[in-house]
Amino acid sequence: MESVAQVSQFDLNYRLKKLLGRIGLFFAVFVVVSPAIFVFLWMLSLSLKNEIDNIAYPPVFIPSPPTFDNYFKIFRESNYVLYAYNSVIVSGAATLIALVVGVPAGYGIAKGKAQGLGMLIMIARITPGLSYLIPLFTLFRFLGISGSLLAVTISHLVLTIPMVVWVMISFFEDMHPELEEAALTDGCNVWQAFYRVAMPIARPGIAVAAILAFIQSWNNFLFGVVLAGRETRTLPIAVFNAMTFEQLSWGPVAAAALVVTLPSLLLTIFVQRDIVTGLAAGGVKG
Amino acid sequence: MSDKITRRDFLKSSVLAGAGLASASLLNACAPTPEPTKAPAPAAQPTAPAVVKTTGDKFDWKRFKGEKIEALLIKNTQGDIMAQNIKEFEELTGITVGVDQPAEQQQRQKLAVEFQSGQTSFDVVYYSFHVQKRLFGKNKWVTDIRDYLKDPTMTAPEFDWDDFSAAGKAWATEPDGRIDALPNKIDYGVLYCNKDLFAAKGVALPKTFDDVVSAAQKLHDPSKNVYGFVGRGLKNANAYLWCLMVLGWNIDLIDDKLNLNTTTPEAIESAKFYQNLQKNFAPPGVAGFNWNESQSAFALGQVAMWWDGVGFAAPLEDAKSSKVVGKVAYVVAPAGPKGNWAGMTGDGLGISSFSKKKGPAWYFAMWAASKSILAKSFAAGSGAQARNSVYTNPDALKNLTVPKEWVDTVVASGKIGRAALPIVVPVTEFRDIFGVALTNMIGGADPASELKKATDEFKPILEKSEKA
Amino acid sequence: MIPAIAVIFAVIIFPWVFTVWMSLNDWRIGMSSEFIGLGNFQMLATNNRFLSTIPRTLYFTFLSVLLPVVLGVFAAEVFHQKFPLRGLLRGIYIAPMMATPVAIALVFTMMFHPQIGVLNYLLSLVGIPKQLWVYSADTVIPTLAFVEVWQWTPLVMLIVLGGLASLPTEPYESAVIDGASQWDMFRYITFPLILPFLMIAVILRTIDALKSFDIIYVISQGGPGTASETINLYLYLQAFSFFQIGHASAVVIVFFVLILALAMILLVARERLRWNR
Repeated sequence: MESVAQVSQFDLNYRLKKLLGRIGLFFAVFVVVSPAIFVFLWMLSLSLKNEIDNIAYPPVFIPSPPTFDNYFKIFRESNYVLYAYNSVIVSGAATLIALVVGVPAGYGIAKGKAQGLGMLIMIARITPGLSYLIPLFTLFRFLGISGSLLAVTISHLVLTIPMVVWVMISFFEDMHPELEEAALTDGCNVWQAFYRVAMPIARPGIAVAAILAFIQSWNNFLFGVVLAGRETRTLPIAVFNAMTFEQLSWGPVAAAALVVTLPSLLLTIFVQRDIVTGLAAGGVKG
Repeated sequence: MSDKITRRDFLKSSVLAGAGLASASLLNACAPTPEPTKAPAPAAQPTAPAVVKTTGDKFDWKRFKGEKIEALLIKNTQGDIMAQNIKEFEELTGITVGVDQPAEQQQRQKLAVEFQSGQTSFDVVYYSFHVQKRLFGKNKWVTDIRDYLKDPTMTAPEFDWDDFSAAGKAWATEPDGRIDALPNKIDYGVLYCNKDLFAAKGVALPKTFDDVVSAAQKLHDPSKNVYGFVGRGLKNANAYLWCLMVLGWNIDLIDDKLNLNTTTPEAIESAKFYQNLQKNFAPPGVAGFNWNESQSAFALGQVAMWWDGVGFAAPLEDAKSSKVVGKVAYVVAPAGPKGNWAGMTGDGLGISSFSKKKGPAWYFAMWAASKSILAKSFAAGSGAQARNSVYTNPDALKNLTVPKEWVDTVVASGKIGRAALPIVVPVTEFRDIFGVALTNMIGGADPASELKKATDEFKPILEKSEKA
Repeated sequence: MIPAIAVIFAVIIFPWVFTVWMSLNDWRIGMSSEFIGLGNFQMLATNNRFLSTIPRTLYFTFLSVLLPVVLGVFAAEVFHQKFPLRGLLRGIYIAPMMATPVAIALVFTMMFHPQIGVLNYLLSLVGIPKQLWVYSADTVIPTLAFVEVWQWTPLVMLIVLGGLASLPTEPYESAVIDGASQWDMFRYITFPLILPFLMIAVILRTIDALKSFDIIYVISQGGPGTASETINLYLYLQAFSFFQIGHASAVVIVFFVLILALAMILLVARERLRWNR
């Protein structure tokens, strides 16, 4: 009988320990996630309040009643539909082109076939974005495409190509060489081995590269300021237009900020699993 | 059109005499020349060319029907009014307009880069005289509009060039007599005072610089979260406030021979004045304040005095964003030890020299600076306008979103207007370098040595930029 | 292949050639350009304002690398556990790195507001006096780094999480049998194994923190005074406020060399680690 008591005693201890561990874990999760949640909720709160509540101190946290005026205002004053369309086109095209150019390039570099290219990509990755502006502006002038969506898209390649190559290199480096060797002994050349063997295996990596490149392009603010025209602006630039000189209204600015960043946030939450597994599967290797 | 005013109305109205130009350059603004009270004769002004009166039977608003132009404006009330009324222009002329209103900083970058490349994506542009006048003028990036003004087939009979204030004309005129733009908006530095705070301590509204300091001393009470003074402290923006103050010592920081007067005793005294107010009586963190932080501090009722441009009345009188509605006194720039001036900035519309559609672009500029559009901007509280007639426009006065007292202040400021910032190519460097010095002063640095350091840094830049 | 090469040429090689050429000229927009050889570089070497941006940039970078690494490892350990809603919470956690920097910076600007900012209010709830955040020269860099940390810790977390997922389980099993504590296990097993991943995170973060622009530009514009003027902000000022293209191009080259040097040092350190394993 006593052995049973001992067992239950042990069981209780074990459970208590486990419970404490769970509580500790939940607390840790809360601590880790709360800064992100707080900032986004505050953004939402600002965008749903009228101005008098926005400048109240102590701050008003819960909009009562919530108002959508700020959203109506920015959509009325600014052509967000057009900007969103531009953003989709530019980021989509810049990502696609980067995949077409970057995936094979990443493969070539990983297999030691394109060292010069690797250097170039490395250089592009570490050059400050600002320094591209004036040369690219001059180039587009010369080509007669300044202010067009094509020009904005080309400028975004500066961001997307290095991103794609960067992610792909580690993927291909991580792949088991036996597979390709098998393909090569079957009489494929290097590029056939790439298309038939390496590409299908690297699919999760390509997905991650595409997502990261797309989001990077989506968020870019600097290039559009100088290179885009009135009809070809992307969303991040439109945020600035929610600010007028005479008056700083927080509500519209917060609403605009949320509208601009919402697509990348939703995308992130939907595909976070792919990002995590993609990176875990060798996206970034030590 | 209800804004037709008679000559008598015009004369009765407080006449705005702006920066009287003794020399042909705005660099040297001396005593204001009141406009002659006889029929306004621009010919009396060396800078304003005589304009042929038009009979108007040859002018046709529909002349450029079917053309399409691009207008690059700024995201501000002035630009908003033009954008909101653009349909009116399109119906009047048959010209289609693509209106763009980027934020000011972004717009200025775009302008410089495009002009430099010898091709512009816009035909007509809204720009700031106090920042870009010299740069544009030197490079002839905008078109001389005198020919249009003289040409009765190109200038609408109701346009009335004489209606523009002397200050506006002076801003738009280059030293060689060219007129580079149609003046649109003028802005004066004024002192916003919180009447409640002044009344609570029985302090009178300030009339002189000494009054400002003593009022700040009396009203400053950080324990109650009340501060005596606020103004721009952020680098670059703060140079504007300091320039407003410098005028009280009656000097130009850069004279017409391009001598830097930034280390003179007057400049040092004015910097000490700036330092005293900002270091001892402003809210903590003022070194990082631009107009918007200053505005919100004042709108929250935490500050007794705020010195800035006149265009901020609308948000201060808007119950949605302000707690001082109806409590604001608009005080004309107080008198300094050696002079009493309201520092002035100005904007206008220029036609790109690279535009292939200068005619329709001119039509747009003319419409955007018309009596009715400027009256609408004025009613919206956008600040002082370049036309005298807006101040007596019954419609504008009826629809005014700001108190009548504000109008009186604008008109009074116009009588003592004087260019606030030096008219040189590197205005931005000037603002930046001296802005750093001013920020350091707020932190307690010695004004004399900071000014010397800044002057040494700025001098070669100025000399280089003025080399042909 | 030909278009690919053309694209790479247009967006990478041409801008560099152009920049190098411009750096040898004295050219201000609106004036004629003049060849001055290394004049721009000589000017930089004696320009105190430029020189003072270098330690400032390094200080900002140091904070923006160190803190994400520490916090990112902790967060990765947390997300390595299993708990309800893990996927969703992980998605929310990595949202900051995917959010548009300009938008985020504007929201933080409002949160730092000296009179009515929500952060000062939150501090006042726990009895901490009002902070000046970006309105004081002493606190502006740590404050901006705080935003950078908020935004980029998730990236470090993701990289480390990938590292944790690839760890073998045997050492832990034997450690449990030996009665090792959690901390010991982290110190002697986990940390050495994820170190290579951390190095990657450090290299990436260093490069990006050095180049950080949007956040600083929107929130403080390099102020108060020049207290947060990093190299990139100085570059922007020269190129797009003063239009001194020659001078700015020289800054680009110096800046690039600095980033390259730091990246190289880190890469060499990473190789060393590999050999020592």
